[in-house]
Amino acid sequence: MIWYMITQNVLHRPVRTLITVIGVAVEVALVILVVGLTTGLLTESAKRTEGVGADMMIQPPSASIWAAFSGAPMPISIAGRLRTLDYVQAVAPVLVQFNSVNGLDLVYGIDPDSFRAVSGGFVFHSGRDLQGPDDILVDDVYARAKKIKAGDPLHILGHDFKVAGIVEHGKGARLFVQISGLQEMSGAIDKASIFYVKCDRSDHTPAVTDEIHGLLPGYEIRPLKDFINMMTSSNLPGLSAFINVMIGIAVAIGFLVIFLSMYTTIIERTREIGVLKSLGASKGYIVKIILSETTLLCLAGTVFGIGLSYLMKTVFTSLFPAMTISILWKWIVISGLIAIVGGLLGAAYPAWVASRKDPVEALAYE
Amino acid sequence: MANATRILLSSEVRSPAREPALEPILKTENLWKIYRIGKMDVPALRGIDVEVFPGEFLSIMGPSGCGKSTLLHVIGGLAQATRGRVLLDGNDLTTMSDSARTLLRRHKVGFVFQRFNLLPTLDAYHNIALAQHIHGNGFDPHRFEAVANLLGLSQRLHHRPSELSGGEQQRVALARAIISEPKIVLADEPTGNLDTKSSESVLSLLRQLNKDLGQTIVMITHNPEAATYGNRVLHMRDGMVVNGASVH
Repeated sequence: MIWYMITQNVLHRPVRTLITVIGVAVEVALVILVVGLTTGLLTESAKRTEGVGADMMIQPPSASIWAAFSGAPMPISIAGRLRTLDYVQAVAPVLVQFNSVNGLDLVYGIDPDSFRAVSGGFVFHSGRDLQGPDDILVDDVYARAKKIKAGDPLHILGHDFKVAGIVEHGKGARLFVQISGLQEMSGAIDKASIFYVKCDRSDHTPAVTDEIHGLLPGYEIRPLKDFINMMTSSNLPGLSAFINVMIGIAVAIGFLVIFLSMYTTIIERTREIGVLKSLGASKGYIVKIILSETTLLCLAGTVFGIGLSYLMKTVFTSLFPAMTISILWKWIVISGLIAIVGGLLGAAYPAWVASRKDPVEALAYE
Repeated sequence: MANATRILLSSEVRSPAREPALEPILKTENLWKIYRIGKMDVPALRGIDVEVFPGEFLSIMGPSGCGKSTLLHVIGGLAQATRGRVLLDGNDLTTMSDSARTLLRRHKVGFVFQRFNLLPTLDAYHNIALAQHIHGNGFDPHRFEAVANLLGLSQRLHHRPSELSGGEQQRVALARAIISEPKIVLADEPTGNLDTKSSESVLSLLRQLNKDLGQTIVMITHNPEAATYGNRVLHMRDGMVVNGASVH
């Protein structure tokens, strides 16, 4: 009976219902998309790093797991010393630069031969490998996003490159240039940011790690197996705080929407509350009606919000092909719970006010 | 109502539908209700003594502002008395908490209001069923059917209040009031918003409920003709019963 009454109430005021549902949907979509964007960024970045094909990566002491933040403080000569270690099959020095022109992208400065030895080489969609300091390789995702093809010019890092080839994505970065040229452009002569190390067999990785610890004490040696699990938002400074702030804003939106909606509702329905009281409805019964209606609105908003998230994901990824948004079931459930709990908190005061209305005054309400 | 024009005074009590029991189902003793408006105390009820016996149909008359509705609210447990006692089926409302009075209303009182007060979002069927739901004894289809038939609502149950005439709405309100078999029905100007024909219909139904089912009814009205449908009439003025009962 209560649910029938609530459903009729909700349907009886379609505009209010629609606005409330949209408010909750925006809250849910905001949470899902913010987390989806950050998770997508992390996952995609981790997958690309894993995709290099190395067994481990070496970074300077105290370097961030985010290669773009680490600069280039290691002498490239370390590569030669690493190659002398037992079980080491190949070492690829990489200089990482961060390009912020027309987007945010990592640029890998590589030595084509050593990078091929570690990664097994690029899969070319078109064009050829790097041959000169003005050549650049771009992956297919970047090429699709920027609508460029082999032979096109590309201006990044203050330099005019020529797109030598389009390669399959998933090898660390989306843009690759020769390391020597990038060293000159960035003033990091004979420096590298990362050494990718490939062992002759994967089960030798621990032994090689021990060797490198001896050779380069204090350096960060990160195995790339299960690298995805290490790429969490807590490893990126400020990202967790950003996510929490965005979730907080989303909860505040939902709270206020529900608060205003339910407060308006109980004022509109003052006389109905008086009628319920005259029939002997307890305070608990009235609170239950208000909170049940809130739950229904929040559930509808959650469903709408999930749909909105998928719609926005489709729109964003078609507009920005390089963008990755990972919509996770875990966060769909969490966002729904956040919406419902926030909504119930927002409805708590209106429900309390409704339950305490004087029945005589309520019945006389015009 | 042309054939029911004579005003009955309280001293001219008709025989109620059933012989009154010795114990009144409703009794007020020196009942006061004082409203505080700003810094002024405004007495709405000033020492009311009333007894209503099971099976009675009592009409209470009086001019606007004489305290009729306040009396109905207090004896129905919607408002708390300032002084005195209200005994409803042996329960002293003046000593009860708000929650206890709510429970008492649920089980012992049925209200009928001048403005019908049906929930606009529900059809007639659910407006009536809602009272059963709040009552908490579950839906009784036999009782429901009997009440709907008695009040001539069987064909109108799936219409919302906005689709019903005033008379039909009041019949739905009446059905809602009696569906849970209350000890007493309190009707506050039940014909105040109705035309003559609908008023006659509703009043006839009230009398029928009283006679056939022995339903105890207290009805407030300022219409002398409507009052004649009751077994007994009390007159009120300035918060006091001025005819038919003792006055403090």
